[in-house]
Amino acid sequence: MMGRFVGAWRLFRENLIGRIGLTLLIVFALMAVCSFIPPLIDPMYQPMHGVDPEISHSTGPSMKHWLGTDFIGRDIFSQLLAGARIAFMVGISAAFMSIFLGTLIGMIAGYAGKTVDMALMRLADMIMVMPTLLVVLILSSLFGQLHIWTIVLIIALFRWPGVSRVIRAQTLSLKQRPFIEAAKVAGASHVRIIFRHITPNVLPLALLYMTFRVTSAIIIEAALAFLGFGDPGTVSWGMMLQWVWKTGHMFQAPYWLLPPGICISLLTLSFYMLGRAMEEILDPRLRQEGASD
Amino acid sequence: MTKFNPIRIIAFGVLLAAVALAGCSQKEPAGMLRVGLSEEPRTLNIWLASDANSRKILSKIYQPLYQHDPETLELIPWLAADLPEYDPETVAYTVRLRGARWSDGAELTSSDVAFTAKLIKEFRIPRHYSRWKFVTRIETPDKRTVRFFLKNPKAIFRSRSLTIPIVQQKEWEDIVRIARTKEKPLAELLNHQVESPVGTGPFVLKQWREGAYLHMVRNPYFFGTGKTIAGRQLGPHITDIVVKIFGTSDVAILALKKGTIDMFWWGIQPGYLDDLRNQDDIHVYFSEKSALYFMGFNLRKPPSDDPHLRRAIATLIDKNFIISRILQGFGTEMYSIIPPGNRYWYYPEVEKYGAKLDRESRIRKAYDILTEAGYSWEAPPIDDAGAVIPASGIRLPNGQPMERFTILTPPADYDPHRAISGLMIQEWLRDVGMPAYSRPMAFSSLLQQVKGRHDFDTFILGCGKLSTDPDYLRIFFLSANDKPRGWNMSGYRNPEFDKLATESSQAMDREERQALVRKMQEIVLRDVPYYPIYDPLLIEAVRTDRFTGWVEMLEGIGNIWSFTQLKPISRDS
Amino acid sequence: MELRKYIFRRLIEIAIIFFVILTVLFLLFRLAPGDPVTRMVDPNMTPEDAEHLIEQLGLDQPIGLQYLYYVKNFVTGNFGVSFHYGQPVADIILNRLPNTVLLFTTSIILSALFGIFLGKIAAWRKGESTDTWMTIGALICHTVFLPWLALILIWLFAYKVGWFPLTGMISAEVWIDPEAGFLEKAWDIVHHMILPLGTLFMIHFGSYLLIMRSSMLDTLKEDYILTARAKGLEEKTIRNHHAAPNAALPVVTSVGLSLAFSINGGALTETVFTWPGIGRELVFSVSNNDYPLAQASFLLIAAVVLLANLVVDVLYAYLDPRIRYE
Repeated sequence: MMGRFVGAWRLFRENLIGRIGLTLLIVFALMAVCSFIPPLIDPMYQPMHGVDPEISHSTGPSMKHWLGTDFIGRDIFSQLLAGARIAFMVGISAAFMSIFLGTLIGMIAGYAGKTVDMALMRLADMIMVMPTLLVVLILSSLFGQLHIWTIVLIIALFRWPGVSRVIRAQTLSLKQRPFIEAAKVAGASHVRIIFRHITPNVLPLALLYMTFRVTSAIIIEAALAFLGFGDPGTVSWGMMLQWVWKTGHMFQAPYWLLPPGICISLLTLSFYMLGRAMEEILDPRLRQEGASD
Repeated sequence: MTKFNPIRIIAFGVLLAAVALAGCSQKEPAGMLRVGLSEEPRTLNIWLASDANSRKILSKIYQPLYQHDPETLELIPWLAADLPEYDPETVAYTVRLRGARWSDGAELTSSDVAFTAKLIKEFRIPRHYSRWKFVTRIETPDKRTVRFFLKNPKAIFRSRSLTIPIVQQKEWEDIVRIARTKEKPLAELLNHQVESPVGTGPFVLKQWREGAYLHMVRNPYFFGTGKTIAGRQLGPHITDIVVKIFGTSDVAILALKKGTIDMFWWGIQPGYLDDLRNQDDIHVYFSEKSALYFMGFNLRKPPSDDPHLRRAIATLIDKNFIISRILQGFGTEMYSIIPPGNRYWYYPEVEKYGAKLDRESRIRKAYDILTEAGYSWEAPPIDDAGAVIPASGIRLPNGQPMERFTILTPPADYDPHRAISGLMIQEWLRDVGMPAYSRPMAFSSLLQQVKGRHDFDTFILGCGKLSTDPDYLRIFFLSANDKPRGWNMSGYRNPEFDKLATESSQAMDREERQALVRKMQEIVLRDVPYYPIYDPLLIEAVRTDRFTGWVEMLEGIGNIWSFTQLKPISRDS
Repeated sequence: MELRKYIFRRLIEIAIIFFVILTVLFLLFRLAPGDPVTRMVDPNMTPEDAEHLIEQLGLDQPIGLQYLYYVKNFVTGNFGVSFHYGQPVADIILNRLPNTVLLFTTSIILSALFGIFLGKIAAWRKGESTDTWMTIGALICHTVFLPWLALILIWLFAYKVGWFPLTGMISAEVWIDPEAGFLEKAWDIVHHMILPLGTLFMIHFGSYLLIMRSSMLDTLKEDYILTARAKGLEEKTIRNHHAAPNAALPVVTSVGLSLAFSINGGALTETVFTWPGIGRELVFSVSNNDYPLAQASFLLIAAVVLLANLVVDVLYAYLDPRIRYE
């Protein structure tokens, strides 16, 4: 196990795309960690409520505000740092939940077969034809501004089918393997077979998909916030773009418009690159659908 | 697939781009005004048109009997020949018409006016019906005279009822006849497709290409052409109006700067100002709005049923912060329900909670109000030494801890100002230990919660277009309007107020009514069911290189006076 | 015969899924708080007016009855009347649909063609710097934040450089000019389309390139390629005539499978560029509580995605004789 890991790591280090992705990711992770620092220095660096007492309009970068201030005098740099934290939170938790669901459903469908399989897969088909962004948009416009965790949950609920299909296929092929038969003969329960014998084998694949899901979750949250349907109590990058857009600073404050957009794009890029690299290392046969979203 | 050669496509693309550059020099006729609109108008059916954009278009086509003077806001006879005559004996108004023609050439007669009023009454057209239901009988003694008999004297009849747009009997007669026979007559009427509305206004619609533009041309039969009304010589001097639809303000502003539109017919955010002011050919107009942005309380349930708490909250709200930072200075602090711009009715002597205080003094003052009313704290906002400290655990006079106190606001995409104000107010209320939470909600859910279910603590809403007549003061706080979907959203019940309000609606003497309306404002601000916050300025931008003569008025420059007086600038010089 | 049976079975499945979506959608819209009448914040709108209007719009009926009407109308092709526009929903959709189809299909086809072409080259030069840069470029294109990119493109190319019109689909000046001929009008649309098309193209082409590259790499390991090599065929012939056509199949599948995802991007692009299409109308009608229009547009999108998946499966099987219908 350890040896396999070291081998994989060596391969990974040779992979240029993986290296770029990992570097970017570390930078963003540092940003997220550092986001706790500015509010400690001065309450005006509090990303949501803190305003510079002397500045009441958007100003460009200065020593006091490295990326300038927004229209009510909040510090853009500390907002950007806080945005990194939110992006990680949204991306990873939504991805984790959808992968968890997808893996579980995929394994159950593949293992149980027949009616259960049929029902679950039709459900997957149905959810798969729904454009997630539009669905969240409809929900958030119908049921009021959604809380950030609700958004995360909805994204997760609509992003599992792709994964579950792949996991199901994997499970189907695992089911034919002799060791599952052996376990059955030995009297292992279904639950035990699924969790002890199948799960470890589909886990790498699930993890791989997780990196792609992180990407899509971050993009969906950002787009939603950008359109004005995000959680207004959260400082996310999409929210920052919404502010710059709605307050009419779009084409006048590049110091405000560019950083959040670049960050969203680069963070999704880094996860995606990481995913690609992992994919190439784990097994070239695993790719199929992952690249399509 | 293999035969496909992208090089060819790239070459084709470059070719296209080259042609594009060549084709850019399209020139438009000198008299064509190009206007940017932020959303597609909803409809051309005047009875369905409840949105701002349809009304913008239709107000150039369908005309009322009376307009408001741009400076004094007094009633100006428009389709009418002179001001209405009131006969207290019979409670009747007589209106004589000016000779006007419809855009199809037919004459406008008293029967058109009577037809319009009867249509509103018969179909109970929403938004119009309440202004006409007290009219019992309409007579048309001759082609140019209409007489309206009222059930009882109504102060609003002149300014509210006689300013509705008049439609042509010929155009609507058949539609009405068919609709009458249907199961859902109103729905039938509202869903009727109007292709080319017949009006008496300065412009007629030539073409509407959905999702792209509307093209209006000058109405050759417009009655005002060459006439002087309200001391203004009317044109119109514009030959065409092209209304282009832009989805976002940013792009419309770019279009304005680039010169592909002459006016952006929508309030713009202060953020654009610095940039627009630096442009040579662009002028920015600031117009007062007759608007009220306020915080409303739920008087039906604790804790907001306690006037002391409402006064303390009012004291904590820093209007100056909201205006100088969130509105970037483009708005005025409001202290009464009636905007200060409406000088005749506005009463400046109302209670001004916490005006001009700094944050600490506000907290102290609110603390005093609350302690006096019997509120207590686990950790009070003022310590023994008298310093302001973080507070928590506020208890109501009955000893119960205060539960989660929610501030509902519209979502940020609908109005970023109110959403952000809500967040700020939440912080200010937390200063005195209130468990306040700002919660932006989709607009219709918000209204449903506030107006329909009456399930809320407090909310921030705005009334964007208050009429110049202060009747809304009565509508907002009358006990009888405290019902689901009613306008008394706070559930304010005060017999003293009700009495004054009813008197004011029937007071035919203007000064008598003024005194009543002032008293009403005083009472409302004493009890604070609503706490007024701000009245934003409307910022509009136009290009100055092609047209001149925009008329400034309450609610902005897109008024009928502008469109009848605008003159093209000769470009040959 | 086998094919026909397969299509028939799939169509029934699609019909059932469609019906479920239709029901869920209906419930969602009706259970949500608020109705189109609530939105009218006009002090002139009295509660009596509101009740009257609600009754006239048929919103006062029991929800079960409303549902029955809804299903009955849908089956008979009557999509109702838009609350917002007061026009039949079918008219509005028919008016907007061609615009979306034009923009969307053009972008998908162009990006698939380019993706296949460049992906082929990237795979062929695996390991070289061309491959690395192409992959990185494709990844960047694929992950860039779309609405942000669109706004920057507008600012740069439509405003600063001034090559293209800002937004919209046609310019009023050309279309109201009685002398403008067909060519001028057609050119006007193309001119407006370039920027939104470019945006959508960038987003899609990246992923198609990546899929093509991977699939091409797999194909190159197949026996028949080795056989072709052994026969001494020219490398270029092997690449273009033997490997590429087979390798392109997954791209075709992914066009179908990722359609729902692409539609998100399409709606965003239409919204930012004010392109009068279904996506923009859907976003708009949702925020206006215009149930009939929002429902119909969403169902249309769902139906298209469902059918596209079927077409892709059939096409896939047709193109690749190794696949059999299960």
